[in-house]
Amino acid sequence: MKLKFCVVAVAFALAHTAAAQETVKIGVVQPLTGPVAYDGNIYVNTVKMLVDDMNARGGVLGKKIELVVEDGACNPAQSVNAAEKLATRDKVVALLGAFCSTSSAAMMEVARKHKIPHLTGISTAAQLTEQNNPYFFRAVATTPMLGAAFGGELPAAVKGKRFAFLVINDDWGRSMVSSYPKPIERAGGQIVGTEFFQSSELQFLSYITKIKAANPDAIILAANTQHAVALSKQIRELGIAAPLIGEGSWTSDSYLKLAGPAAEGVYGLVEYVYTIRNPINDAFVKMSRDKLKDNPSKFAGAAHNGIHIMVDAIRRARAADPEKIRAALTTTDYNGLVGNIRFNEKNQAYGQDVYLALVKNGVPEVVRTARIAKP
Amino acid sequence: MFDLAIFGQHLLNGVLIGCAYALIAIGLTMIFGVMNIANFAHGEFYMLGGFAAFYLVSLLKLNYFIALPVAVLLVLALAVAIQQAIFKRLRDAPVMTTTLVTIGLSILLEHVALLLWGPQPQVVPTPFPTRPLSFFGIYTTPLYLFSMAVTAALIVVGHVLIQRTRMGKAMRATFQNREAAALVGVRIDRVYLYAFAFGAALAAAAGAVLGGFIPVEPTMGGIATLKAFVVVILGGMGSFVGAIVGGLLLGLAEALGAGYFSSGWKDAIGFVAVILLLLFRPDGLFKRA
Amino acid sequence: MFIGIVLAGLLMVPLAVRDEYYLHLFIVSAIFVVVALGLNLIVGYVGQLSLAHAAFFALGAYVSALLFFKLKWSMWVGMPAAAIVTGCVAFALGWVILRVRGHRFVIITVAFAEIMRLVATNWVDLTRGFMGLPGLQIPALYVPGIGAIDVSSKERFYYVVLAAAVLSFYICYRLVRSPVGRAFVLVRENEVLAESLGLSAFRYCMIAFVVGAALAGAAGALYGHYVGFVSPDLFNFSYITIMLIMVILGGKGTLIGPALGAVVFTFLPELLRDAAQYRMVIFAGILVVATLFMPRGIIFPLVEHLAPRRWRKNHGAA
Repeated sequence: MKLKFCVVAVAFALAHTAAAQETVKIGVVQPLTGPVAYDGNIYVNTVKMLVDDMNARGGVLGKKIELVVEDGACNPAQSVNAAEKLATRDKVVALLGAFCSTSSAAMMEVARKHKIPHLTGISTAAQLTEQNNPYFFRAVATTPMLGAAFGGELPAAVKGKRFAFLVINDDWGRSMVSSYPKPIERAGGQIVGTEFFQSSELQFLSYITKIKAANPDAIILAANTQHAVALSKQIRELGIAAPLIGEGSWTSDSYLKLAGPAAEGVYGLVEYVYTIRNPINDAFVKMSRDKLKDNPSKFAGAAHNGIHIMVDAIRRARAADPEKIRAALTTTDYNGLVGNIRFNEKNQAYGQDVYLALVKNGVPEVVRTARIAKP
Repeated sequence: MFDLAIFGQHLLNGVLIGCAYALIAIGLTMIFGVMNIANFAHGEFYMLGGFAAFYLVSLLKLNYFIALPVAVLLVLALAVAIQQAIFKRLRDAPVMTTTLVTIGLSILLEHVALLLWGPQPQVVPTPFPTRPLSFFGIYTTPLYLFSMAVTAALIVVGHVLIQRTRMGKAMRATFQNREAAALVGVRIDRVYLYAFAFGAALAAAAGAVLGGFIPVEPTMGGIATLKAFVVVILGGMGSFVGAIVGGLLLGLAEALGAGYFSSGWKDAIGFVAVILLLLFRPDGLFKRA
Repeated sequence: MFIGIVLAGLLMVPLAVRDEYYLHLFIVSAIFVVVALGLNLIVGYVGQLSLAHAAFFALGAYVSALLFFKLKWSMWVGMPAAAIVTGCVAFALGWVILRVRGHRFVIITVAFAEIMRLVATNWVDLTRGFMGLPGLQIPALYVPGIGAIDVSSKERFYYVVLAAAVLSFYICYRLVRSPVGRAFVLVRENEVLAESLGLSAFRYCMIAFVVGAALAGAAGALYGHYVGFVSPDLFNFSYITIMLIMVILGGKGTLIGPALGAVVFTFLPELLRDAAQYRMVIFAGILVVATLFMPRGIIFPLVEHLAPRRWRKNHGAA
């Protein structure tokens, strides 16, 4: 009787553990609906494509990777709900997300509460890594880091000295305005104007006119597709021929298509662009063209980094255990799509390459490369 | 240092945008004055006009100058349907009911648009050359000039319709005193239908024409509605002329304000002004004769 | 007796529902019950459409969050503080704007909500703007004689919000059953008659507005600490939309209607998570149709229809 019970118990335990550990579950929170759904869906489709490929090669730790995707809609409350569900119901061992900085800020508290490592490859608000949250990792350069890397090169790149800012009036824009001027000035440049626009504005004629009055040699902008299109067109329509240098979606397919001729000669300050030449990217671009019928965008690049860094950490942790994965992430020394990535003591990535891309005939060509210094 | 060319540029920008505001606001103020409905879905007609123009030109390859009126007619048809199906039943309904319905309608239209067309912004392709023209250092493009001309023309047409046609007179009568108008034989249902359709059509026209340089996307209706409300409140709810003057005023104030002062709090100032006006000058800035 | 059964059932929820996710939904529902009951006072009982309610909710969340973030005051102080501050703001606002009714009142409440949103977003020194206020926690509950009880787990916090919901229900119940409540209804139905009887419409509108706002503020505080994060997103138009749906589709002018509406319209969006894109279309469609054809709401009349006859007799709609 006792033996029978033992056998049943052991069998049950084995079956249960086998079932529980059949896959390595990674949770993904991205905006699948809402204003940035287009890019959020690109991210998710790319991650799925890459995970399918990884699983075909054996997965990680001998098991298949299972992605559980939830819609954060770029909304903090919804992202929190999504993360809670992933943590408590799906019991994921790692989290990727949530695209918008405010959603990532909210989501990282859930990660902290449930002690699950949380990585973002997209959210750039500087304060995210200042929250003393050991479970939060950022695998992308922030605006100040981009400024430090490229600011000094801009006067030479556009062959000019007078720079004006036209940026969105939020954390991102303000961060640009506070971090780019110094390196520009050190390289002999001069800031002749600064304008902020509200996210809800549709036309920017007044700001552009004001900047025109300052007669800049180049305009530096922080904007995503929706605003970037209107800005580029309206700047050209008001007769400003100076080159535009932009952080945001200035090299994405959707921007290039919508802006048309206004996109010619635009410089993009990007962490990834599909025209980078290295073996990993060549393979990635080919896979993306085959399976997703598209060139990978900045967000696809972020997806590539995110999932690879996470899986690399899981592999080095030798267990699908959140604490071990977290520890493994801190010792990351990953060579990938955009070069070498390591994390500093605040879990901020550094060491990767960033690019200045110039749009020529609708194609963003890399014209300069810089390396992100340890912050 | 005061630069005349830059000042002139600001003025031109202000008039361009002001005309658009006026066009959208006229519709809103008419619907408000004649039907006593605060149409929170008004901005969605602007958005739909823009999308209709976009798809007519880019997908159906219609000639731009034909696509514009067709786009307006499509939205007008939708407005008629909405009026007959919904607002006709609400003829004597209380404020809360009509307001809630327009709020619901606004959300419905916005999200159906999102479903159909996704969140990506679209620009209406125009046949105009994009190289800017300049006069005395002030820059504009053929498209901007066209927009101003069309919006101004539509405003004039609207004014003529209101003042000279029988329907226009009926609308004005209904606005002044609905019971009296009904008593003398004005067919209120017809008046409502025309007012709503007219208002929606004007908003759609603005969307179609401006879509050439202001990208349209499904969630933009809210902002358009908000601006229209500010204009209507400035000019007096129900006042046609008030909407025109208010629209230009707002356009110029925004252009010069952003041009010469800081941008951050200007929206808040606008809202405070709205509150103060609604409380103390409900008939708008201009006392009506 | 019926109430006893309902209460017992509510008390047993954490025991029956083991799934943390569903428990989370119950908690959020309870918080929104408080909100809906408050909004119902203005919209349902006095009959004025206020679109500022979500702004009061968010304001309450910010007050409590700021007190915690800057002064380390616990939620037990933050919540009543939020209610008081929100009530005061509503009092000041109402004093000025409740002199107008109808369309003008609605538009002013919209303008007020927008101003609040701009303040939260742009007064970066106080509110940290877009970055919001993170790290909010649920504090322990000090019970004299027993000591500190940790109520931060979902099972335990549920009882905290349940208590808040029950308390709000009780407050509203006493209010609407009192002469004040009867005055509310008279002001709504026939303001002229009310005035002629010596009832100041302004006064009763103020009471409803302030009490409703205070409830929203308290609920906001609870929500902020529960979610752990407060940001200007709380001022999004989507919040007032769902609140209105809860009250109006629930059955405005009754007490149970909005309470049920809060529960149904917290669960429904989550259950429709997969059909997220259709969700708002469905809701907006229901809102339009219901406003046109079902002025008493959907949920309350449904409940009324299914409930036993005696219950119906005892709980007539207002």
